[in-house]
Amino acid sequence: MTAAKTYESDWAFEARLRRRIRNLILFSVALLISLLFFFPVYLMFSSSFKSEGEIFAIPMHWIPHEFQGFRQYEFAFESTRLERWYINSLVIAAVQTIATVFFGALAGYGFAKFRFPARNILFLFILSIMTVPFQILVIPMFVLVHQLGWHNTYQGLIMPGLISAFGVFMMRQFAYSVPDELLDAARIDGASEFSIFRRIVMPMLKPAAASLAIITFLFSWNSFLWPLVIAQDRDLVTLPVGLTYFSQSLDREPLWAVAMAVSTMATIPVILLFVFFQRYFIEGMMVSGIKG
Amino acid sequence: MGLVQKRQYYGLLFVAPAVIFFAIFFLYPIVIGFGLSLTDFTLLKPPVWVGLQNYQDLLNDRLFLKSLNVTIGFVLGSTVPVWFISLAMAVLFFQRFPGRELMKVLFFTPLLPSVVVVSVIWKLLLHPSGILSSVIGPIVGQMPIKWLFDLQLSPIMSVVVHDWHIAPFYMIIWLSGLTSIPPELRDAARVDGANALQSFLRVELPLLKPTAVFVAAISTIRAFQGFSIQFVLSPSQGGPLEVNTTLGIVIWKYGFQFFRMGDAAAISVVLFAFILIFTLFQLRLGRSDDFSLN
Repeated sequence: MTAAKTYESDWAFEARLRRRIRNLILFSVALLISLLFFFPVYLMFSSSFKSEGEIFAIPMHWIPHEFQGFRQYEFAFESTRLERWYINSLVIAAVQTIATVFFGALAGYGFAKFRFPARNILFLFILSIMTVPFQILVIPMFVLVHQLGWHNTYQGLIMPGLISAFGVFMMRQFAYSVPDELLDAARIDGASEFSIFRRIVMPMLKPAAASLAIITFLFSWNSFLWPLVIAQDRDLVTLPVGLTYFSQSLDREPLWAVAMAVSTMATIPVILLFVFFQRYFIEGMMVSGIKG
Repeated sequence: MGLVQKRQYYGLLFVAPAVIFFAIFFLYPIVIGFGLSLTDFTLLKPPVWVGLQNYQDLLNDRLFLKSLNVTIGFVLGSTVPVWFISLAMAVLFFQRFPGRELMKVLFFTPLLPSVVVVSVIWKLLLHPSGILSSVIGPIVGQMPIKWLFDLQLSPIMSVVVHDWHIAPFYMIIWLSGLTSIPPELRDAARVDGANALQSFLRVELPLLKPTAVFVAAISTIRAFQGFSIQFVLSPSQGGPLEVNTTLGIVIWKYGFQFFRMGDAAAISVVLFAFILIFTLFQLRLGRSDDFSLN
C-alpha cells in the first residue's frame, strides 16, 4: 500500500519536475532570442539620450551615463527641417489612407454586390495590378508625373499611392458578407444606392477598414523609393528620406545620437498603432502579405 | 430594362473611380514603360526608337550583370535562412511557457521601425568602432572590423539586417498556420505513439504546405525588390565596389543619376520577368480560392 502511494507521488513529482525543466528551457531559449532581436531597437532608444561622445563608449553603456534628456531631439528640430518632414509624412500618409479605404470600400462593394457588364474583366485588371511591384513602375511613373508637371509637388508625392489595388481586393472579400436582405430592405424603404453604401455597408466593413487603414498608413509612412526620386525640394522631403541626410554624410562622421533621436521619433507613431490596435495591425499585415 | 437590371449599373459607378485611377496610374505607366525600354530616352531630349538595342546592350553591361549576381545572391541568402528562423520561432512561440506573450512582443519589435530606420540603426551597430566590432573583434582577433566596407562581409550584412527586420513577420504567418491545424490531429499522432518531433514532421509540416508556399513566394518576390537596405546601409548606395548594387539600385542609378531612362526601363522589364515567375508559382501552388471571381 505504502509502496504504491510512494510510487504514485514519485510519478507526480517526476512529471512536475519534467514540466518545470521543459518550461525553464523554453523560457531561456525564447528570452535569449527575443533579447537578441530586441537589442537594436533598445540601442536606438537609449542612444538617442546619449551624448555624441558616449555613443562609442567601450564597453557599451546600457543606460546613458551623461543623460542628455531631450537635447538631441531639440537639436534635430533646430538644425534641420525635421518638423516639416514629419508633417509631410503625416499628411501624405493620412490622405492616402483615407482615400485608399474610401475608394477601396466603394469599388469593393461595387464588385461584390452588383452584376454589371465587364465586371469580371475589370476585376481581373485590378488583380493583375497586385502582381506588379512598385519598383518596376518607378521609371514610367516618374515620366508620367513629369509629364503632368507634378515633379517636386505634393500631388506628385501623393497621387500614385492614392488608391491601392489590394485595398479594392480586400474590401471586396469582406463586402460579400453583407447580407443581401439588408440591402434590399433598405431599397424598399426608398434609400438611394449611395446612402445604402454610406449607412449600411460602410459600418459593416469597419473591422476590415481598420486593418486596411493601418497597413496603408504603415506602407505610406515607410515608403522610401518614391519620395526619394520625386521630392527634390528640401521642404517636400518625407521623414525616411530626411533621415538618410543624417546617415549618408560622406565628408564627416554622422551625428549618431541625433540620427537615433530622429529614428525614434519616426518609429513612435508605428509603436502607438501597434499598442492600441494590435489586433488590426497584425491582421492587416497577415492578409496583405506586404510589409512596407 | 427592369428596375433590378438598371440597379446593377450602380456597381459600375462605384468601381469607376478606382478603375479610372488605375488606368492612369497603372496601365498608362506600364505601357510607356515597355515603350521607353525600346528607346534611348534621357528626359533631356525626345526619345528615339532603338528597338531591342537596350536589351542587347544589357548582355554586355558590366554593372547590370554584376547587379544580377548581387540580386540572386541576396535572394538566396536572405530567403532560405529566414524561412527556418521564422518557422523555428513560430514553433517555439506555439508552446505554452511562462512569459511567452512578453517575449513575443520583444521578438516582434524589429518589425516596427521602417526599413530606412532599421538600416540607420544597423549602420551604427556595424560602425568600425561600434558595439559589434568591439564585442566580436577580440574573439576573431581583428580590430576594428569594417563590416560594411569589406567586400565579402558587406553583402552578408545586408542579408542579416533584412532577415532581422522581417523574421517576425514570417513568424506570425507561420504561427497562424500552426494555430489553424486542428489539435485533434496532433493528439491522435501522440496517442499513436509519435514523439513531438515525429508529430511535427509527419503531421504539422505537411499541413503547413499552403503557409510554406505563401512564405516562400512572398519572401522571394520581396527579396528581388531589394533596394532600401542596400541603399542606406552601404557606404555609397550599393557599394563598396558595387557588391550591394541590386537590380533596384541599378534602376535608380541609371534612371536618376545617369538619366538613362531607356536602359532603366529595360532593366525594370527584366526584373518584372523574374518576379512574374515567382508570382505564377505562388498562384499555381497557393490556395486558388483567394483569387476566385465569385
